[in-house]
This record gives sequence, structure tokens and C-alpha cells, in this order.
Amino acid sequence: MTSRKREIREAEGAEYGVDSRYSSKKDRLDDGKALMEARLQRMKNLSADQIVKAKLLQLKLKMDEYIKEPVYHTHSAFTEFLTSYIDAIYSRRNSFAKDIDVTPVLLSQILNNHREPNEEFLLRLMIHAEKTYEHVCQFHKRTWHQVYFQEKICDVIASQDKWRPDVEKHVKISKLAKVL
Amino acid sequence: MVVIDTGTGTSHKVEIEPVDDRDFASLTKARYFFDWKQEKEFEMYKLRIANTRDILGLVSVERIPEEWRLHIRLLTVSKENKGSSKKFENIAGNLLTFISKIAVREYGELACVSLKPKGLIARHYIDKFGMNVTGLTLSIEILEIFNLIETYDHD
Repeated sequence: MTSRKREIREAEGAEYGVDSRYSSKKDRLDDGKALMEARLQRMKNLSADQIVKAKLLQLKLKMDEYIKEPVYHTHSAFTEFLTSYIDAIYSRRNSFAKDIDVTPVLLSQILNNHREPNEEFLLRLMIHAEKTYEHVCQFHKRTWHQVYFQEKICDVIASQDKWRPDVEKHVKISKLAKVL
Repeated sequence: MVVIDTGTGTSHKVEIEPVDDRDFASLTKARYFFDWKQEKEFEMYKLRIANTRDILGLVSVERIPEEWRLHIRLLTVSKENKGSSKKFENIAGNLLTFISKIAVREYGELACVSLKPKGLIARHYIDKFGMNVTGLTLSIEILEIFNLIETYDHD
């Protein structure tokens, strides 16, 4: 086979597959060590804006994952995501409160789960995120609402033992016979 | 994400999902070039056109959290999508972007996806995906991932 033919074959090979399995753990560790040194050098060159962009992208991907496959947590996913969002952009949370025209006290209460965000808060957050993500990545305007209501659904389902006995007392199906 | 029909130029939306046990019967070496059953213990993903069953591409990865890295073990497109007569474009790019998004979700600005191809194949990955070179290892980190997402992550 001529070298030109070999080049073409290998280039086409790139299109169909890569086998890049490590032959041993040592091989993996050695590569990892060299790669880490090079990466740390490159990381030093990241600008503050690029780091913020990465954090916002990470947050968006986490929220997408939560919407797709919600996991019940004892803590609030919504406030955890909101805290990450604010802390990625602002050095002081009060500045975010000012930007969406709410009091720092209200924001603090929401972040500490002492108060539910009302619709007005969610709408302002939606618009704030739309503008923030404009130059980061695609960010759907329904994302914050989806996270918030997904969490509510998770909470309701996970806490059935607590609310169901009382609530069931108030529910009867008087037309059950007709339905069957 | 979409693949492009090279014959018509039409875009088709794709789905990338974990490989499940029922898939292995169809993952032959003749069509997917590697023995994918050997990869069962690793994370594996398949790419299909949305609402169809035919698998057009596969990738297996190893997570290395202590290095904030995902290492691609195997990556392939199906036989009819190989070379200059391929049916669909963008399969490998979509798979790489999908893995990169997992890396960013897990590790944020420290995210890294690596692979270690041989010979001219490496050149192709460097040119096409802007990969960094460290010895024989190629990697994409956050800046390259931004570019990949911009190029491939849209419908």
C-alpha cells in the first residue's frame, strides 16, 4: 500500500472509530499526570469571564438533568440552583436582589427556604436568566419554573405518608359505581 | 443535536441515550467495528435519529473524577457512515459533544474529555475538533467544549 493510500485509509478510519482504551492502570495514571500538568498551565490562562461562562453552563446542564430525571432531596433543589446562579455572577447577593428589584431580606428568606418565591419573583428570575444566558448557551425560558414545580411534585409524592391520611378523610368518590 | 443526510442535506434530530442490554444483540463487530460487549462494565451511549431504532454511533467512556476527566475508550459510527460515502454527517461530533456536556455538568470549568487515538487519526481529531495535544493524549477542555457546544448542540 502506498503511503498516500495509507493516509487516506487512516483518515477515513478516523471517521468510523477510535480505540483509545488504556492498556494498564499505570498507562492511565502516567497519561493523567502529564495531561494534568498541561491542563493546569492552560487553566491559568482562563479569564474570569470564561470561568463564569463555564459555571453558568454547568448550572444549566444540572438543571436540565434535574428536570429530566428529578431526584428527591431533603434540601431544596430550586434554592440550591438559585444560590449557584447568583454566586456565579455576583460577588454580593444583595446586588442580585437590587437587579431584580426585590429586597435583600426577601431574597435571603427565599435562599434559606423561609419563604416561597412568588410568581413575580419567578418571572423576574426568568427574564434575568434569559439575558444572562444570551451569550452563554441556549437556555429555555421555562427552565426555572420547571425546576420549581418539579421540586413541588417530588415533595408531594415523597411526603404522602404525612399528608395522605388527613387529606383522604376529605375525599370520597360518590359516583364510583357509575364509573365502573 | 442533528445529523445531516449527505445525500439530501436534510437535518435529522438525534437522541443520545445509554445503551441497554437489549441493544447488544444488534451491536455486531461487522457493523460497529469493535466488540462492544467488552465495554459492558463502562458507561456506553448510542446515537439514533429521534423516534427511530437504528443505532448510528456508539461511545464508551471511563470517568476519572480525581482528574475531573472523562476518557473516551471507544467511539464509532456504523459501517454505512464511514468514509467518503457516509450516509450521515456529524455523528462523531455529536457523540463527543454529548460526552463533553457530561464533563461540564460534573466538573464545570475544570472539565476535560480525553482520548488517545493512533497515527493520522489523531491529526483528524486535532483539526476537526480543536483538540489539545499532550504526548499521545488528545484532550478538549472548557474553551474547546464551548466551541463544540456552539457547533453541535442545537436542533
